[in-house]
Amino acid sequence: MANFFPRWSNWLPIKLLVCAFVVSNILTGFVWYYFTPKYTRVGYQPIQPVPFPHSLHVTQLGMDCRYCHSFVEVAAHSNVPNTQTCMNCHSQVQKDNPKLLPVRQSWTSGQPVEWVQIHKTPDYAYFNHSVHVNRGISCFSCHGDINKMDVVTERQPLSMSWCLSCHRAPEEHLRPEAQVFNLDWTPPAGQNQRDIGLALKKAWNVNPPENCAGCHR
Amino acid sequence: MKTIFHHPPEPAGGKKYWRSLEELSETPEFRSLLEREFPRGAAEFNDEDGLSRRSFLKLMGASTALAGLGLSGCHRPVMHLVPFTKSVEWAIPGAPLFYATSMPGRRCALPLVVTTYDGRPTKVDGNPLHPVTKGASDVFAQASILNLYDPDRSRYFLENGEQADAARFNLSLDKIRGNLAANGGAGIAFLVEQDNSPTRERLRGEVLKKFPQATWCVYEPLGNDDAARILEAGGTRLSPQIDKADVILALDCDFLGCDDGGVEASRAFAARRQPDQPAGGRMNRLYVVENRYTLTGGVADHRLRCPASQIAAFALALAKEIAKRTTGNAALDPFDGGIAKPQVNASFVEGWVERTAEDLIDARGRGLVMAGPRQPAAVHLLVQSINKALGNLGSTVMGMPVTENPGVTIGELARDIADKKVNTLFILGGNPVYNAPSDLEWEKLQKSIPVVVRVGIYVDETSAGCSWHVPAAHYLEAWGDGRASDGSYLSGQPMILPLFDGWSDLDILARLAGLPKPAGSELVRETFRSIAKAADFDAEWNKFLHDGFLEGSAVAATAPQAVAAPAGYVRDNLNLTSMTGEDAYEVVFTSSASVDDGRYANNSWLQELPDPITKLTWDNAALISPATAKKLGITPKTFGQKDFPVIEVALENRKIEIAALVAPGHADHSVSIPLGYGRTATGWVGANAGVDVYPLRTSATPYFAAGATIRLTGNVHSLAITQDHNNMEGRALVREATLDQYQKNPEFAKTMWMDADLPATNPTLYSHPPMTGLNQWGMVIDLNKCTGCNACVVACQAENNIPIVGKEQVINGREMHWIRNDRYFASWDKQDDDPEMVMEPMLCQQCENAPCETVCPVNATVHSEEGLNVMAYNRCIGTRYCSNNCPFKVRRFNFFDYQQRPVAPQKVPLFGEVSGLKLGPLTEKGSPDTLKMQKNPNVTVRMRGIMEKCTFCVQRIETAKIAQRVKAGPSPDVRVPADAFQVACQQACPAEAIVFGDILEDSGSKVSKLRKDPRGYTLLAYLNVNSRITYLAKIRNPNMKMPGADKIAEFDAAQQEKKPKGAP
Repeated sequence: MANFFPRWSNWLPIKLLVCAFVVSNILTGFVWYYFTPKYTRVGYQPIQPVPFPHSLHVTQLGMDCRYCHSFVEVAAHSNVPNTQTCMNCHSQVQKDNPKLLPVRQSWTSGQPVEWVQIHKTPDYAYFNHSVHVNRGISCFSCHGDINKMDVVTERQPLSMSWCLSCHRAPEEHLRPEAQVFNLDWTPPAGQNQRDIGLALKKAWNVNPPENCAGCHR
Repeated sequence: MKTIFHHPPEPAGGKKYWRSLEELSETPEFRSLLEREFPRGAAEFNDEDGLSRRSFLKLMGASTALAGLGLSGCHRPVMHLVPFTKSVEWAIPGAPLFYATSMPGRRCALPLVVTTYDGRPTKVDGNPLHPVTKGASDVFAQASILNLYDPDRSRYFLENGEQADAARFNLSLDKIRGNLAANGGAGIAFLVEQDNSPTRERLRGEVLKKFPQATWCVYEPLGNDDAARILEAGGTRLSPQIDKADVILALDCDFLGCDDGGVEASRAFAARRQPDQPAGGRMNRLYVVENRYTLTGGVADHRLRCPASQIAAFALALAKEIAKRTTGNAALDPFDGGIAKPQVNASFVEGWVERTAEDLIDARGRGLVMAGPRQPAAVHLLVQSINKALGNLGSTVMGMPVTENPGVTIGELARDIADKKVNTLFILGGNPVYNAPSDLEWEKLQKSIPVVVRVGIYVDETSAGCSWHVPAAHYLEAWGDGRASDGSYLSGQPMILPLFDGWSDLDILARLAGLPKPAGSELVRETFRSIAKAADFDAEWNKFLHDGFLEGSAVAATAPQAVAAPAGYVRDNLNLTSMTGEDAYEVVFTSSASVDDGRYANNSWLQELPDPITKLTWDNAALISPATAKKLGITPKTFGQKDFPVIEVALENRKIEIAALVAPGHADHSVSIPLGYGRTATGWVGANAGVDVYPLRTSATPYFAAGATIRLTGNVHSLAITQDHNNMEGRALVREATLDQYQKNPEFAKTMWMDADLPATNPTLYSHPPMTGLNQWGMVIDLNKCTGCNACVVACQAENNIPIVGKEQVINGREMHWIRNDRYFASWDKQDDDPEMVMEPMLCQQCENAPCETVCPVNATVHSEEGLNVMAYNRCIGTRYCSNNCPFKVRRFNFFDYQQRPVAPQKVPLFGEVSGLKLGPLTEKGSPDTLKMQKNPNVTVRMRGIMEKCTFCVQRIETAKIAQRVKAGPSPDVRVPADAFQVACQQACPAEAIVFGDILEDSGSKVSKLRKDPRGYTLLAYLNVNSRITYLAKIRNPNMKMPGADKIAEFDAAQQEKKPKGAP
């Protein structure tokens, strides 16, 4: 019988295998990089109804985070401020600034300002702010240098593996309780984060949950 | 190849524990069905409703092709954070607020504490501050929150059936008021429910001041107006003191269940039920005489089956025995000679009456005889004379003042209406068209009245044809008040503004009376002013609202005199019914443990709640004894029976057709049928649920009617019963003994059955999860205290967002309750007509060596360091291997999207009616807004394809841990203190049978102490699962002189010889 398979088809299976291997690796790498929260969420910077600059209020004016996010030490959800909180100052300060028009309108009409949510975990994961800020984790660890932001940007992926990286090693983020709301804090000269963290972890008996029930109820 | 496990066989000579008569038939089909967790066909679609697997796939294929395949980009959809504009006092987003209130009830009000999130109530619990109830609640209080959020609630004012509004109603009301002012209110009548609210009484007085000729009628279908009139004529209501009684005889009185006792009776009884009583006290002993099994009968030490109509004969026989054995009993003398010999063929088990009488006489002053609240007045009077003769009046029987003035009965009101004396009728609550005695023909009467104003929470049978239907406010939406069982004054704060602009009773009465300040809060403040007489009113008022009750307002019980009945009343009225003839039956109209008198027919939690005894859901059935069944030719079919024979029950010229359920322990010649079903004007939940029995009920026979006939019709009806889904199969899951056996060998439970052969250390092949948590969680369930009331089941459903599945799915064994009460009958001979009954709450045992954890392919269920078996819902892919492996069958699977797809049947062209669940994507996805408001925000709402089970209320555990860590702050004090919080089932249980907490000894918690109780054992210990739940064995206290005493609570004699662990 004549050869009806051309010679080059001898190499076809191996070529297919190598090709499949390379392609699947590329695809996996592609998904691993571009489809995980580290890429899709970090840098999310939506346009807000009011261009509220944290840098002005926190860094320049020296307001504490808790003036607006008033329930962060007692509740799971760290609230965005009510219109009344904004109007505490802005009924007199900048009271004709057009950028604050939505706030003034909200105050007179009774309709709330609809802020775009940036930092969100899935509904089945229950995160509690109060236990973190009361136990030495600063806003900075999850929200980044928000005190310097003109527009709030998501700095951390807030994925489960990212949460676990701290839960498994809280010493990387623990800081003295007085410094929790000081977003510019760095370890004093001569000390490093890990040593400070380990000492606090031991002194405060810090053992964050690593089992599923800690967050998934 | 399927592994067939041969578990240790049922001990041949031992006591048998069985679930149902069907189980006794032991056909091969039964055995094969037993091995399957779900009955055959449960995992497939049935062909019967037209939707087979094939047709489903056809539909799915078509719909997939039509579905869009849009991609929504790489980022999640935009979501918003929406704060308040003006700050709201006390409101912290996501944090709960707890308010005290009270739930009005027939007998008394129940003090409550309600959990609210973001302004909406989500969970109702008892008020732990109240000295009598101490935080207990019952099924109706737990489920009442669903009535608040019922999407089928009445939302609009209806004028002659047309939608109107409050403004027009106010105009109408003014007109009515004007018309009636002219003639002093003649012709106005009020038909109201029983409620001991002092403010309502005060407003009644105001209205009657304005309209002196008005009629006030109080009607409760499950009340006993005629008896109350005679018994409470002196202004005192008798109040049994259960905690003081050593010997209790309950004549048709389910004081631990639906009748009269309430949650405080369960608590008081459970406290005296402990085998080790403090300070030389005795464990109490309970004798029960009843016609059907009730919760009280289940707990009884001795039980006699007796038709309800013959309780009178029993009481008389008992009175005669007591008179014979005691001298100088003036109280009983009239009965001894006065009543003619009973012309009945009522005979009781030889020796039963005599020995009981002797025991009661031995316990003079410490005994208690009670008659069921719906028995006729003559029986009650006779029972009180017995109590007086035994010296119980003033010790175990006390008196409480009656706080409401009596009104007229519905019979008298009907007569007035028929005589055209009523031209305006206000119906506040209730549902007389549905549940008035049938001889009154209420519907016709109501239609004959020119103006009928009906305030109702549903547009129901009574609302049809009314001049005005006013949407009623739920008790959680309206101001009110009440009195608890000890007479203390309770507040009734609203939790939320009326969702549908409803009006409460107080609103409408205040407007009618033309009061200047008709707001509910003002009305209650006025009442409080007169009751409290406080120096600093505002401070006292705030404290009253905060606590939920006025401290020191409890009314002391007084030693009652015997009720002064008209002379010769008992002699003339004691109706000693004769049950002549083989075919003479009585029909007993029982209250339903699910829908009460019918008011909860649209409450899906209660409809799906299995009746504690029959485990029947979504239906009512006629309960008949096995002997009656045999006579009719009904044989219990094979296990997994779905279709039950329908019988026709006829009383004179009225008849109904209803499915018959053979009930072990039921009296012969008696048929018990629960009321409250067969509603015609409700939402989808109550529609097609059961048969309306009210047509059989007349004014003369509100509770039982003799002279009924029953016959098989040849039809069948499907009933959804959960009892056969789980069986004990000869394993000693419930362990019990008599008091004597316990005192001889307190640790008897630890060595029963397979536990006698447990090795000292049980080796295990897989590594034990590290239990390094500072708190270790565990639970103790005391079977001796548990009555099986199901309060825990509904509490768990409310707390954990557990869905309902509908009747069809319950038949397939897919009910979703995380905790269930397994009810077993126990007898030596399986054909015994008088079995005992035991209840066992069953929930996830949180095994340390959990069989479910090792088989999950995706590791969705793992063990926490604190001993919890944890479920991560989002990981679960629905393999169901864990449920397969669970020896306790406590894992529940979401076969359908119960939360978002309609459970009710939907009409489908070509296929007829198909359950909304099976139609899946073809139905509208979503849940009514009001039902979403009830959900607990701290618990994930599970979707289709996810396994769920009891989590030991992990959301409460985590909340407590977080609270402790927040409190600790920069300090190491992070261990949750003992008994800092309760889990939902523990919180609801009125008998305190469930205790949860930190089991480590140094915590000092209640549960750590109870775990050391000698009665404690764990289930299936020989499987080495190391359950975290310890059960305390049940103890019965039989009187060895009673007939049949030697059979009670005896476990296998052979096992009794096994030596206790550790004995030489």
